[in-house]
Amino acid sequence: MTTRPAVVLRDVRKSFPLGGGGSLEVLDVERLDLPAGSCTVLRGRSGSGKTTLLNLIAGVAAPSAGSIRVGDTDVLALSEARRDRFRAAHIGYVFQTFNLLSAFTALENVMLAMVFADAVPRRLQRRRAADLLARLGLGERVAHKPQQLSRGEQQRVAIARAMANNPPLILADEPCASLDVRTAAEVIATFLEVCRQEETSLLLVSHEEAALAAADRIFDMAELNRAEARRAAA
Amino acid sequence: MTILAIALKYLRGRFVASTLTALSIALGVSLIVASLILARGIKEGFLVGATDYNLLVGAKGSPTQLVLGVVFRMDLATPNIEYTTYQGLQNDPRVETAVPIGIGDAFQGFRYVATNSAYFAPFAWRHKMYSLSAGRFFADDPPDAPTYEAVLGAEAARATGLGVGDRFYEGEEMAEYPLTAVGILRPTHGADDRAIFFSLASYWGMNEVARKLTVKPLTAVLVRPKRMSDLGSLHRELNVAAETQAVLPSGVLLTIFNMMAVAEDVLTMILAIVGIIVLLYVFVSLYSATLERRREIATMRALGARRATVLGIVLIESCALAAVGGVGGLLGGHAVAYFAGALLAKGGLVANPFFLDPLEAAVLASVILLGTLAGLLPAVLAYRTEVAENLAPLS
Repeated sequence: MTTRPAVVLRDVRKSFPLGGGGSLEVLDVERLDLPAGSCTVLRGRSGSGKTTLLNLIAGVAAPSAGSIRVGDTDVLALSEARRDRFRAAHIGYVFQTFNLLSAFTALENVMLAMVFADAVPRRLQRRRAADLLARLGLGERVAHKPQQLSRGEQQRVAIARAMANNPPLILADEPCASLDVRTAAEVIATFLEVCRQEETSLLLVSHEEAALAAADRIFDMAELNRAEARRAAA
Repeated sequence: MTILAIALKYLRGRFVASTLTALSIALGVSLIVASLILARGIKEGFLVGATDYNLLVGAKGSPTQLVLGVVFRMDLATPNIEYTTYQGLQNDPRVETAVPIGIGDAFQGFRYVATNSAYFAPFAWRHKMYSLSAGRFFADDPPDAPTYEAVLGAEAARATGLGVGDRFYEGEEMAEYPLTAVGILRPTHGADDRAIFFSLASYWGMNEVARKLTVKPLTAVLVRPKRMSDLGSLHRELNVAAETQAVLPSGVLLTIFNMMAVAEDVLTMILAIVGIIVLLYVFVSLYSATLERRREIATMRALGARRATVLGIVLIESCALAAVGGVGGLLGGHAVAYFAGALLAKGGLVANPFFLDPLEAAVLASVILLGTLAGLLPAVLAYRTEVAENLAPLS
């Protein structure tokens, strides 16, 4: 594990405008450093800003104030197109509801991430996708479409997709929220194992015991997010 | 995998909707192309049939009826003129070629046309040349010794099934004068394809009244003057005569084309409406497809796809649909023209269904361009999809 931080947030705020004027501040993080290669778990109640925080780090939403660095890159200084390219190559994203594309097979879903990133040579993309799926126990399911897979299998495809470009950082938003306890534990275990093998930094929103037990660091949004703390105190 | 492959995969993923959209484009294009082919084909048919001769001489009456009846065999034949009119024109020093025509009854709907060998002669000035696919031309037999030999137009031979050597007649009263097929013409893509030709002697021999006449009858004479400057005087003299009129076929064609132009304008309007409906269908289809997959588009964006990439995917989809529909429409248009041409032919109109209109390439290019443009708004919708909003967990 290296000591160079994978993610650095300083005074990051996010507000949403309200219909009748004014705004609602949903996130206010003074400082967050994620060491490279670490596994960090975020937990907190629904609406505490966990997904917003991940979206800001991923660059799919812009903060109202503050600075966000991923590796050596100030993501807010990038144009939108460059930020998209940066995200494709450097950040993997695992969604709570998997978000696999229904028209594509498991293999193609994984390859999609590589198409957008251009980080893996085209001739190697198919093999890399097949290898990842095999490592996640889906070697026999590469040609199946999402609707032909169980929920646990779908989530493992989503994990393989997030890892397709071998990104230094993976963001996972409650990846096991819709899975039963046993399947969730299996998926988390596999996920963490593959991340460790690839030396990938992982920021995981989860309440799973397995995730909490394996985490290097755990943040509670009630403490991390000052806006949430203010709302709780009010 | 490429952006093109992703777009095509999406189209295959919505196979039924994609097929229906491409089919609707193909139907619209078919209609447009078939109309183009038939309209141009019919005009070509008229031009090919009418432009070899500068003057048509027949009995007094409607000039349009004379041209339609004699040249295109689409109307009732006009009353007869005397054979001496032809002889006078043949001996006129201003006339290069005069061809006698007698329009008779028909065999199974294919008009009898009596003439002489000059009708098929390979004059250098001809726009169309006649050649045989089988047999030989009939002889210019003398009036007192008709051979009853016939040469069949390509379509007449195909439709009746008659071949060289076959004898035929229509009506018991004609059983005494059966015709013998001695030759079959190659297709001319004109009215001659649907005609059955034989000699004037055979024509007069088959007609009880004509047999008894000393001065034999004719329907018309096709005339080509040696000099165009003589056309005016010939036209005037023949019109002044008590029994004849001289018609400039090109003038009558102009009248026909002017009448067709009104119908063409209406047709153009209908086709424009069809085109707009098809484009709207493509637009609605792609728009609803884009709305349905906003979450997937947001997912692609979260995976690193740029806005321009998702815009490109939707545009490639609309372009591919338009291209498939356009090409299918071209083929379908020719198929429709083929069958419609066969129907028109029964009414005497001959249109070449294989006629390639240069406008077809323009139609295909326009379809692809407009089809792609129909996908522009859905593409912009995809382009503007906000990632965070559309990635919110489903409740």
